[in-house]
Amino acid sequence: MRAHDFTIARTVGEALSRSGDGSAYLAGGTTLVDLMKLDVMTPQRVVDINRLPMRGVHRDRRGLHIGALERMSDIAGYPLVKAGYPVIAEALLASASGQLRNMASIGGNLLQRSRCGYFRDTATPCNKREPGTGCSALNGENRMHAILGTSNSCVSTHPSDLAVALVALDAAVQLRDRSGVRTVRLADFYRLPGTTPHLEHDLRPGELVTGVMVPRLDWARRSTYLKIRDRTSYEFALTSAAVAVNLSGRTIRDVRLAVGGVGTRPWRLPAVEDALRNRPLRQDVVEAAAARAVADARPLAHNRFKVSLVQRTIVRAVMSLKG
Amino acid sequence: MSQQSPLGKPVNRVDGRLKVTGAAGYASDHHPDRLAHGYLVLSTVGRGSIRSMDTAAAQRSAGVLAVYTPLNPLKLFNQGGGLFGPNWVPLQDTEVRHHGQIVGLVVAETFEQARDAAALVRVAYDARTPVASFEDNIPNAAVPEPFFFGPAIQDYLADGVASIDDALAAAEVTVSGSYRQPIKLHNPMEPHSTVAVWRDGHVTVYSGTQAPVGHVQDIARCVGVDQARVRVVSPYVGGGFGNKAMTWGHTLLTVAAARALDRPVSTVLTREQMFTVTGHRSAVAQTVALGATRDGVLIAVKHDAYSSASTSGAMFPWGPHTTTLPLYRSENIHIGQRAVTLDIPTSTIMRAPNEEPGAFAIESAMDELAARLRMDPVELRMKNGTTVVPGNGHPWSSKHLDECYRVGARRFGWSRRNPVPGKVTSPDREWLIGMGMATAIYPAARFPSQVKIRLQADGTAGVSTAGADLGTGLWTVLAQLGADALGIPMDRIRPDIGDSALPNNTGAVSSASTAGAASALRLAAESVKRALIQLAVENPRSPFHGMNPQDVRYADGALTAAARRVSFGDLLEATGSAAVEATEGVGFGGDRQGFEFASFGAHFCEVRVNRWTGETRVSRFTTVVDAGKIINPKTARSQIIGGVIFGIGQALSEGIQVEPATGRFANANFAEYLVPVNADVPPMDVQFVQHPDTAFNSEGVRGIGELGTVGAAAAIANAVYNATGRRIRDLPITPDKLL
Repeated sequence: MRAHDFTIARTVGEALSRSGDGSAYLAGGTTLVDLMKLDVMTPQRVVDINRLPMRGVHRDRRGLHIGALERMSDIAGYPLVKAGYPVIAEALLASASGQLRNMASIGGNLLQRSRCGYFRDTATPCNKREPGTGCSALNGENRMHAILGTSNSCVSTHPSDLAVALVALDAAVQLRDRSGVRTVRLADFYRLPGTTPHLEHDLRPGELVTGVMVPRLDWARRSTYLKIRDRTSYEFALTSAAVAVNLSGRTIRDVRLAVGGVGTRPWRLPAVEDALRNRPLRQDVVEAAAARAVADARPLAHNRFKVSLVQRTIVRAVMSLKG
Repeated sequence: MSQQSPLGKPVNRVDGRLKVTGAAGYASDHHPDRLAHGYLVLSTVGRGSIRSMDTAAAQRSAGVLAVYTPLNPLKLFNQGGGLFGPNWVPLQDTEVRHHGQIVGLVVAETFEQARDAAALVRVAYDARTPVASFEDNIPNAAVPEPFFFGPAIQDYLADGVASIDDALAAAEVTVSGSYRQPIKLHNPMEPHSTVAVWRDGHVTVYSGTQAPVGHVQDIARCVGVDQARVRVVSPYVGGGFGNKAMTWGHTLLTVAAARALDRPVSTVLTREQMFTVTGHRSAVAQTVALGATRDGVLIAVKHDAYSSASTSGAMFPWGPHTTTLPLYRSENIHIGQRAVTLDIPTSTIMRAPNEEPGAFAIESAMDELAARLRMDPVELRMKNGTTVVPGNGHPWSSKHLDECYRVGARRFGWSRRNPVPGKVTSPDREWLIGMGMATAIYPAARFPSQVKIRLQADGTAGVSTAGADLGTGLWTVLAQLGADALGIPMDRIRPDIGDSALPNNTGAVSSASTAGAASALRLAAESVKRALIQLAVENPRSPFHGMNPQDVRYADGALTAAARRVSFGDLLEATGSAAVEATEGVGFGGDRQGFEFASFGAHFCEVRVNRWTGETRVSRFTTVVDAGKIINPKTARSQIIGGVIFGIGQALSEGIQVEPATGRFANANFAEYLVPVNADVPPMDVQFVQHPDTAFNSEGVRGIGELGTVGAAAAIANAVYNATGRRIRDLPITPDKLL
């Protein structure tokens, strides 16, 4: 860990005025402190934002509003989240460990960095950490890496479970910097790695995530998050699926579907949604639709199994909602 | 009224309260005045030599006291690491033997300063390509020199049989399989740490160790100081599983740095550093071929193993010799062991070093044979169990393995198993359910152990030995054994362990602590009682003065003679004596000759495998153990459960990915190396069939610390087969292998 300034912001204005290039906001600290100890993140200034009034979960006619500093455990426990958006509650509870969920904020969760072992080891080349040094995972150990959205510069998976659920639900992040506020759809917020994998999202220097908005979707009551992993708890996804369906009898009127563990960002699957819409909720229909998920998959030496596993994950998740 | 003995009772740990309240002082909890902190610098290439090191920035960094490197070394002597430690000592040459090797020690005023300065050290290497791929180098495997278990290649053939392959060819039914498992890590909860404090030419070393006396010897030899001037203090050890039984480079450097800087130094390894600095369990590839008659009598058994070994030394597993040979009777047996030496970190002992891999192979193969024969796997094992050990012909001192099978099968509900794979599902048909079983075996060892008993005037009794309790229960077991031997309540026993100044003890290795300590303690109790009686009849202030020693009896903490009863505390008080003490010991091996000593067990488990996505989850586990008399069923149960959880990790999730081109351990951290979490651990049923093994020692106890993990992974793999019809011979059994 490098020497750095540390400051506690009491207002949003104070936080914004103290931050910019080379600074980092500290909320739960579960990513930032970890990566600072590994010398992977080396901010010159850390601004603690935990006292800012960015809390609370409430619902209005537009949808669900979540303050950026709400802790993962707390959000998962809100009855209106559990009942109205089970996919969010389940994605949260499938994340990390109880201790981490008690600390980690929703804003921080959406901005968490890659879990690629090469990104986290400063002794190895990594384009995301040090642009231009090369990608060690491309021909290294890449069992956990992505098959969708990869480039020759970076193949690391987006690690957040919650982001997969939110992308499926068309959620947006509310941002604020010194010039004002803006709202960006989460699906547009995350960037593909391309040749610039160090640029992961559209946050401007010093810009603050103040909240998350999930548009009203009454039929999200019938939704789920299924996560497949090597151990039962406290492990990142091999593959995951966030699904909501609007059923009319046995017919899928509408559906939202995104997958995790396979993409360089949370991966919405409009082609699979199209193949399911207005079709019966039946195993063969879902299997045929799921095949569209991997049309553009580029598997690596150790993660070819994800091509099959992600389809199975989709099928299992969708079929579990037939209820 | 006679004192109720606590032996065999599930009493709580005597050190439990200290541990859960944080009052138990582990090595790095010692903060002497002027303590400085060390932090290791590790190599980032897998083979080569150091051309230069730039330490200027580190030396200028805040609080830094010294930066030691091969170019500015602390002097150490390479006197050999013994059987289980590395064959080199750090910083004495510029050679890089493996990725993650110690190439420097930064010492600073605080841990954070040392860590941050270490990140500024720049090393230039002349790198060479390491030989790191286990799989690719199996063709280059070598036959090792004979070891504890005799020659590496052994054949026991019936008269007129020319080779094991001929015997296999003649069998009515044969199966064969090839089994793989990756490198695994001990991962004790307490990181390796050493605090060294020099005073007047003597050094006290606080260091979590399984063997305080051996640690003294290693430190004395390698740092170059008289053994009499080194003391190791290690009362509490936060787990070890084998990799705290030897002395690693950070300890030697810490002791030497404290001497050079003339102030105490503490070095605590990070979790990531522990993956390459403090040893691992080898990768193992095995082939087993079994030949049998149609009714399930083994005719030919062939088990060959290849273990990864390290150019940096220590040992590698000998599976066939320690599992297949003693477990099954056959007219024709072949066992073979080979080593594949690689430029990877030191391989060493880890909980059931030989038996864990060996049992996975043979117990999987036995399941394959049972399936081929359409025979119950329990019946097949009972039909072929040994009564004597091939080679030496020794009978078992006390073997009740068949009882373990029977009791386990009944408790588990084995009769409900559908022998046809893939037939049982959960009510929602999402999960395939299977049952599997396997055998456990672990040799019973006893090593030199001395115990001192000191009867004290306040009515308490000290019981001490230089052994170690790494969560294994020695603190509690000594209190129970002492209370039983002296006939006084446990709360009057003052156990003392984990200090090299105490009576000699080999330490906590090979599941041998209880057998050694119990035997020595029983002898010491008899000696101290004799000494007490001698004092009673000789001391003029004693109420028994002048009596014939034969007429004075010790019982329940008191001497009695001629209707007079005086507690030992009162007697010591009356005679003005502070204490009476006696030290006794035992050596290697069992009490009686001509026997083979081992503990046995039977595992039964149920798994659920998701039909679509392939996750295996263990849903029930029953283990029945034949380990002689059990001193404390509560701590013993914990040992078995811990062993089985080790087996769950072996079966389902643990394994190092070695990068073949670099020798780097790609997942050397707790986020990517997956030990089981609570959610992976099902309800556990542990039962002991208690038959005291009095041929082994007077208490009739054998070891249990390692036994529980032997065969656990095979039971799980066999259950996966029963659930799915898929035989996974390549551990760990991750979802991708079951799609």
